[in-house]
Amino acid sequence: MIDKTGKDSKDMQFPAFLASIAHDMKNSLGMLITTIDEIIAGCSSEDCRSKPMFSRLQYESKRVNNNLIQLLTLYRMDKSHYNLNIEYNSVPELLEDAVIQNRPLLEFRNISLRTECQEDLSWFFDRDLIAGVLNNVLNNAYRYANGLITITAGVRDGYLAIDIADDGQGYPDYMLTGSAGSGTINFSTGSTGLGLYFASIVAEMHNNRGKEGYIRTSNCNIGGGGCFSIFLP
Amino acid sequence: MPIDFSYKKFLVIDDFSEFRSTLRRILWGFNAKDIDDATNGEAALDMMAAKAYDIILCDYNLGYDKKDGQQVLEEAKHLGLLRFSTIFIMITAENNLQMVMGAVEYRPDDYLIKPFTRDVLKTRLERAFGRKSDFELIEKAIAAKEYLKAIRLCDQYVQKIPKNIFEYMKLKGELCITIGDFQTAKTVYEKILSIREIPWAKLGMGKVLYYTENYEAAAETFRALTAENSMYVEAYDWLSKTYIATNSHEDAQQALVIASEISPKSVMRHKTIGEISYRLNDLDTSERSYKKAISLGQHSYFRSPSFYTGLAKVLVDKKEPDTALNVIRDIRNAFQNDTNASMHASAMETIVYRDMNRTEEAKKSMQDAMMMLDASTEKMPENIAIDLAKACFDLGDKAAGTRIVQQVVRNNHEDEEIINRVKDIFANTHMESEGSQIIAAAQKETIQINNKGVRLVDEGRLEEAIEYFEKAAASLNGNKIINANAAQALIMFMQKNGKDDALIGRARKYIEQVASIDLSYSRYQKLLGMFENLAGG
Repeated sequence: MIDKTGKDSKDMQFPAFLASIAHDMKNSLGMLITTIDEIIAGCSSEDCRSKPMFSRLQYESKRVNNNLIQLLTLYRMDKSHYNLNIEYNSVPELLEDAVIQNRPLLEFRNISLRTECQEDLSWFFDRDLIAGVLNNVLNNAYRYANGLITITAGVRDGYLAIDIADDGQGYPDYMLTGSAGSGTINFSTGSTGLGLYFASIVAEMHNNRGKEGYIRTSNCNIGGGGCFSIFLP
Repeated sequence: MPIDFSYKKFLVIDDFSEFRSTLRRILWGFNAKDIDDATNGEAALDMMAAKAYDIILCDYNLGYDKKDGQQVLEEAKHLGLLRFSTIFIMITAENNLQMVMGAVEYRPDDYLIKPFTRDVLKTRLERAFGRKSDFELIEKAIAAKEYLKAIRLCDQYVQKIPKNIFEYMKLKGELCITIGDFQTAKTVYEKILSIREIPWAKLGMGKVLYYTENYEAAAETFRALTAENSMYVEAYDWLSKTYIATNSHEDAQQALVIASEISPKSVMRHKTIGEISYRLNDLDTSERSYKKAISLGQHSYFRSPSFYTGLAKVLVDKKEPDTALNVIRDIRNAFQNDTNASMHASAMETIVYRDMNRTEEAKKSMQDAMMMLDASTEKMPENIAIDLAKACFDLGDKAAGTRIVQQVVRNNHEDEEIINRVKDIFANTHMESEGSQIIAAAQKETIQINNKGVRLVDEGRLEEAIEYFEKAAASLNGNKIINANAAQALIMFMQKNGKDDALIGRARKYIEQVASIDLSYSRYQKLLGMFENLAGG
């Protein structure tokens, strides 16, 4: 509140310094990603034998970028320097953005991306945080999907529900949340789980009239692929 | 919606040449032909003044101690460099996002977080063109200052385009506050808050409480907002305003200091900190703040000689009169051929020389100041006028001192605080009884001037009334009653004899003057209603 006029600046210095290095890294990474995009845009597959390698570069650099964004956002949330920017946003536009950002990469692996959403659906959420969550899930699905990813959005029980399902092997047991909202993810196992941790924090930050957002990971009954869901009140 | 970009005029603003050329290549890929670029905000504003761009892509961060993208947007709007159709897109690293989205008043059409792909940019541009048309009529009405019409349009669009419902309601709330219709604004914000606790709606509610003088509740609202959203700069600004209204200047100063740490480049905020700190006798903070306002304002729309005179006063109090004289010299360098600025400079110089007992120079400056006071179209700010009047009496020029005092009193004949400060001048110069007479006479005179004009209106002699009130308003441009009456006489004349573009322009000028003196003045809204019925019908 009012009484934090630089008193804690000493304690802040070290992590603030790290955060500023991270931002600097992000700037370089931004240029790297833009350059790779340009290279890929300029090379059609016939005359460019390196395209698979460029796509690999693109995938990895985007992954690093997503992780960095998540780390920085979590850092700011921890310092309460992150203010939610909840607005009434168009859901199909949110999905369209996610598709546009991820489609080129997915096409390269012959994975097609389908969205199902009512055209006039709008909802309250922080556009950038939710876009970050979706990008991250799609980036992971790139690794696990066989040929199809489906994003479905709609209103269920007073929540906006967004499901991202793939046709891969499904989540391993330790990454499943169990029944809606009850589960906590076990982060002590192999995978860092940063993406899911970030998604769960973001979901919880969305609350309305005593209801809190949450995420769920499940495996499809048919096909057995993984399904990530986020629910926002 | 596919757009033919080959006809669009682009401006790219970024301090990194790498990024400018990348964007240029992406835009070429969209078939764009006309692409200019600028490396900093000042160059960009010059270019916008010379050429009407369709799409402006501006980076938020334009270099250390340079204007940031938000300031470029703000100044472009103030200077009228953006047409309705101009699309302004802010490009930002995600760490600056809060600064872009946290602002209520000056928001870009959209923002993009680096890095973004060409397809994302293209989609966003296409969407922005679509959205423009959703708001075009409302924006045009606002630009023409047809506020009531804009409010009616908001009501219609809520039905027509439900996906923008909250944006229309937000605009409506802001418009209602602009015209002083606080009751309707309150209803709008209550409605939004009953659906969802949105920070900007809470801020709006706080403003309504402030303008209806519920300062306790307003302060509580703004405090709660800053507690929940520690980066919400505008909430701190309003909290500070509320503290000032309740004379809690120390709290006001603290709130603004936090705001200026979050958003360190706002010229006007530094100026306000300078003023409040001076009142608190915190001279070091005041000096620092005025200096920041001066350096940040140097090439800005928001620069003003009052930053310099503020600083000079601090330096006088710090017993550094020579430095104060240098600051006054800076005014003359920074504002050449500006009568108003010269008036400020000479007035301040009088005060400084008087303080240094350099009587001859003080007298010379005083004469200059008085000459320019007659020539200037703007009124002298009260705090300088009062100091100048005091210096005049000290220097033995009763006539000049009296003239200034009369002007201050006439402009503020109902403002107790200012009248008391004027009385203090006389208390210190052992002229109490004479002073009270001067004040009482000036107050009485103003009332009589007004009454005489009102009589002309009552007798239906509208042409004479117009002439009379316009003349009165010219010398009493800080008096809301006189200005309101000038506007009303003009409107009544047109109601009777038909409208006339020149008269409409003059009526609008007086109504705007009333709003700038006191937005919550009860007659302002009525006048605006009469005016828009007439001008729009």
